[in-house]
Amino acid sequence: MLESYVFVNIFETKGLEYMLILIFLVGFIIFLRYFEIHKQ
Amino acid sequence: MEITAKKGIKFIISELKPRGELFTPFNIITIPIIALGLIIVAYRFVNGLGSVTNQSQIFAWGLWKGFNVVTGVAFAAGAYIVTFMVYVLRIKKYHSIVKATVLNGFLSYVFYAGALILDLGRPWNIINPIIGNSFGFNSVLFLVAWHFMLYIIAQFVEFSPTIAEWLERKKAKKFLQSLTLGAVVFGITLSLLHQSGLGALFMMAKSKIHPLWYSEFLPILFLASSVPAGLSMVILEGTISRRVFKDLYPKHSSKHLYEEIVFGLAKGAALSLFIYYFFKAIIFIHGRHWSHITDMWGVWYFIEVFGFVLLPCIMYANGYKNRSIGLIRLASLITIVGIMLNRLNISVISFYWNNPNHYYPSWQEYIVALMVISIQIWVFRWVVTRMPVFKESHH
Amino acid sequence: MNRRKFFKLAGISAAGLTEKLITSADAAGIPSTKQFIGVLNDTTKCIGCRNCEKACSEVNGMQVPDIENDNALEKERVTDEKQLSVVNKYKTDKGTVYIKRQCMHCWQPACAAACLTNALHKTEEGPIIWRSDKCMGCRYCMVSCPFDIPKFEYQSWNPRILKCDMCWKRIQQGAIPACVEACPSEALMFGLKKDLMEIARTRIYKHPKDYVSHVYGEYEVGGASWLYLSSVPFEQLGFRTDLGNTPYPEYTKEFLYAVPAIILILPPLLYGLHHITEPEDSEKK
Ligand code: SF4
Ligand code: SF4
Repeated sequence: MLESYVFVNIFETKGLEYMLILIFLVGFIIFLRYFEIHKQ
Repeated sequence: MEITAKKGIKFIISELKPRGELFTPFNIITIPIIALGLIIVAYRFVNGLGSVTNQSQIFAWGLWKGFNVVTGVAFAAGAYIVTFMVYVLRIKKYHSIVKATVLNGFLSYVFYAGALILDLGRPWNIINPIIGNSFGFNSVLFLVAWHFMLYIIAQFVEFSPTIAEWLERKKAKKFLQSLTLGAVVFGITLSLLHQSGLGALFMMAKSKIHPLWYSEFLPILFLASSVPAGLSMVILEGTISRRVFKDLYPKHSSKHLYEEIVFGLAKGAALSLFIYYFFKAIIFIHGRHWSHITDMWGVWYFIEVFGFVLLPCIMYANGYKNRSIGLIRLASLITIVGIMLNRLNISVISFYWNNPNHYYPSWQEYIVALMVISIQIWVFRWVVTRMPVFKESHH
Repeated sequence: MNRRKFFKLAGISAAGLTEKLITSADAAGIPSTKQFIGVLNDTTKCIGCRNCEKACSEVNGMQVPDIENDNALEKERVTDEKQLSVVNKYKTDKGTVYIKRQCMHCWQPACAAACLTNALHKTEEGPIIWRSDKCMGCRYCMVSCPFDIPKFEYQSWNPRILKCDMCWKRIQQGAIPACVEACPSEALMFGLKKDLMEIARTRIYKHPKDYVSHVYGEYEVGGASWLYLSSVPFEQLGFRTDLGNTPYPEYTKEFLYAVPAIILILPPLLYGLHHITEPEDSEKK
C-alpha cells in the first residue's frame, strides 16, 4: 500500500485535452464549411 | 368466424411458400450454411457449449456474443437515427427509407437477441430476469437484456402499420400509425441507453482488455460509433436492396431522389465519424496511452483509428462534395468493417491480449454466426417481397 | 509510553485473544453478528501438503486429487470446473512458497454485480454463493471477475457455474470451511475479517523480517474476505497487484445511475423537438 503515497498528478493531461477540444471545435467548423462551399 | 380462421391459415401457408427462383447464388451459398448451422446448434444443446465452440474458462465470451450481439446491434442503429430524423425532426426527405430501415433494425434485434440465447448455458432460466423472481438490477446485462426486449416491441409497433397494410386492415393501420410517434420516442431513448450499455458491459473487464481499447468512456464511444455504423448500414442495405429488389420499388421512384438521400446520410456519417475520431483522440490522451503504441497492438490500434475511422470520414466528405455515389458506398463498407473491428477488438481480439493461449473461434462458431445473418436476410427478403416496404404509402 | 509501544501492546493483546478462538478446529462456527467472515492464509506457514485441496474436493463431491503421487505442484495451475481450490509452488529468494488459490470472496464482488439473475449472491456474512435455479449461463460473471474464478461446465448440456463458496453449507451448520479444518499447519485461519486483519497486522509488526508489509486482500478490488500474508512481494507469487483498490462494481455504477435520468429527460425532449419542428401551415394530409 505504500506505493500509493507517491506523487501522482491526475490532471497531467488536462491541458492537452483542452487543446485537443479547441482543435476539434475549429476543425468541426472548417469541416462543416467544406460541405457548404460546394452548394454555391 | 371459422371461415376467416381457415382463410387466415390458408393465407399464411400460401405466403410461407417461397417465391421466385430457388437456385440463386445467394440461396446456394446460404442454404448449406443454415442447414449446417442448425445441426451444430442442435448438437450444442445436447453436448454442451464446449463441444462446438472454443470458448474457455478465461475466454468466456466468444464470437457469438462478440460478433452477433455486440457488433450486430451497432449496425441496427440505423433505425433509431432515421426514425429520429423523420418523426422527430420531420425531415421528409428520408421518409421513403424509414420502413426498410425499421424492418432491418427489428429483424437484427430479433436475431441477435436470438444469438444471445444460443450462447446461454442454461437458456431455460432466461425467464428469471424477465418475470421478476430474480432481478439483477445491479447488472448492466440486465439493463441491456430488458432494453433489447422493449426495443423489439417498440420497433414492431413502428413497423406494424406496414403489416396492417399488407393484410388490408385499414382501421388497424390507422390505429397503429397513431402509436408510431410514441414508439419512436420510446425507441430512441432505449437505443441510446443500450447502445452505450453494450460498451458498459465491458467496464468490469478492466484488467482484461488492452488499455488502448479499454476506457471508462466506453459507453460514450459505443454510442458515438453506433451513429456512423447505423448510417453506413443504411447506405449499404439500400444499395443492395435497390439492386436485388429492383422490381419491388415503385416505378416512378426517381434515382435522383434516392441519391439525395444517400448524400444526406453520407454527410451525417462524415460528421459523426469526425466526432468519433476526436473522442478517440481525447481518450487516448486522457488515458496517457502513448507508452502502449510501440508494439504490434499500437500498430493495430492505429490501423483501426486511421484506416477505419479517419479514412472513411474523409472519403464520405469527398464523396459528398464530388457527388460520387461510388466513393460513398466504398466508405460505408470501410466504416462497417471498421466498426466490426472495433467491437471485436474490445470483446474478442484484445481480450486477454497478454495471455499466452489466445481464443480463436472454431469453424462451428463461424458457421453459426453466418447462419444467424443468413436467416435474417432470408426473413428480410420474405417480408419485403410481400409487404409494401419499399413503396411509399400515403397516409 | 510512546506510540510504538502502545500499538505493540494493543496488537498483542488483541491477537492473543482471537488467535486462540479461531485456529482450534472445534471453534463454534461463525459468531452470531453479521460481520464479514473470512480466512487468513499465512503462506509462511504453508507446507504445501495439499490436504486443503483434498478436503475441498471431498466436500464438493468432485474427483479427489491423489495428493501423494500426482506431482501436481510441478506446474502452475488454476482452479477449474473440476477443482475449486489449488495450491501452487513458487521458488523465490526466500525459499519455496506455497499459495492456495480460490475465490477471494470480494467485499463488493464483480461477479454478483454482473449477474443479471442474482444467481451469484453475496450473503450477509460475506461468502458469495451460486444458486442453480436462477443462473441462465450467460457467463458475464466470468468476464467480470478480476481473478477469473467462476468456472463453467462447457461439456455439459446443463452446465453449472462453479466456484468456492467458502463451504457456505457447513458454515450455516456451525462448522468451519473444510480446507481450514484440514490444514495441519495452521496456515489457514477462519474468523471475522476484522479479527483476522488484526492478527495479520500483528504478525507483520512482530516479525517484520518474515513478512512483507502488505496483506493481500485487505484493499484489493475494494477488499476481500480471503487474506494472504507472505514473505515475498505478492507479484512474485502469481498475484495480480495491478488491479487497484476500487471495487469493481464502481466501474459500472455511474452508467447505471445515469439510466433513470436519461429515461426521464430524453422522451420529453424528443416530444418537444417534435412539437417545435411542426411547420406553421401544418397541412393535414
Ligand atoms: S474473486 Fe471473483 S468470483 Fe470471487 S467474489 Fe470476487 S469477483 Fe466474485
Ligand atoms: S452465468 Fe449465471 S451466475 Fe454467471 S452472470 Fe450469468 S446468470 Fe449470473
